[in-house]
Amino acid sequence: MANEVALLLSAALLLTVIAALFSKSMSVTVIMLFYASLILGIIFTIFQGVLVGLLHIVTFAGAISVLLLTVVLMTGESNLNIGNRPLGAVLGTVTILVVSASSYSLFSGLSNRAVSSSESTIGLLTFVWTYRPWDLLILIVVFAAAMITIVNLFSEKE
Amino acid sequence: MLTDQTIFLTTSTLLIFLGLFAIFYSRNLLKTIISFQIVVFGANLALFSSGLGEGPNLMANTLVLFSIVVGGSVEAVGLALIVLVHKQYGTLDPWEIRRLRH
Repeated sequence: MANEVALLLSAALLLTVIAALFSKSMSVTVIMLFYASLILGIIFTIFQGVLVGLLHIVTFAGAISVLLLTVVLMTGESNLNIGNRPLGAVLGTVTILVVSASSYSLFSGLSNRAVSSSESTIGLLTFVWTYRPWDLLILIVVFAAAMITIVNLFSEKE
Repeated sequence: MLTDQTIFLTTSTLLIFLGLFAIFYSRNLLKTIISFQIVVFGANLALFSSGLGEGPNLMANTLVLFSIVVGGSVEAVGLALIVLVHKQYGTLDPWEIRRLRH
């Protein structure tokens, strides 16, 4: 099972990196690099490096992505649009909903309730939503994704 | 036998070579910085996967932490330099910048 997870995550990492490197548009490059940082952080987190994974996501998917986005906007190297505004609106709405649900779950104490209960250990989603570090990880990830989506959505094409 | 360590070491090698290729052939300083970030990703993954095995390896994790901090700092400084270069020369093409200097 772990081999399949490693293969899947490695393939996703390579695909996002190739898309980032060989894309014509700088906005696609920045977004793909963001997702590559996330996938690498998830690899670290899954394979017993939770602290390393969290630090990696906070540093690269958080701070460096924001810096990169700022530099791209300042230098005018990008024509920031995702091409399809309805799709962007749907993505933005979904990410904002997930941020709200995740914040509610994190701060209301619901995530402590079923860590040891046996009925909730079947699905991966249940595990993700009941284990507190995963909750925080998802919150960070989705906040960053929402930021990039919203910046894309409201930017004018040059 | 295909283990997680083998998979991640292969992936990290590919990442490092892709990043180096893009550094050498890029005509945009921003793409150069992004390629450098991908090389750092490959190095981090190689360090991390070298410690995979029976339980967590603290030495490998510590080295990855150092690498993350150093890589992030270098990239931040590089981005600041890019902003200065763009303000000075108005372009991010290294050949154009070299031509404008002379």
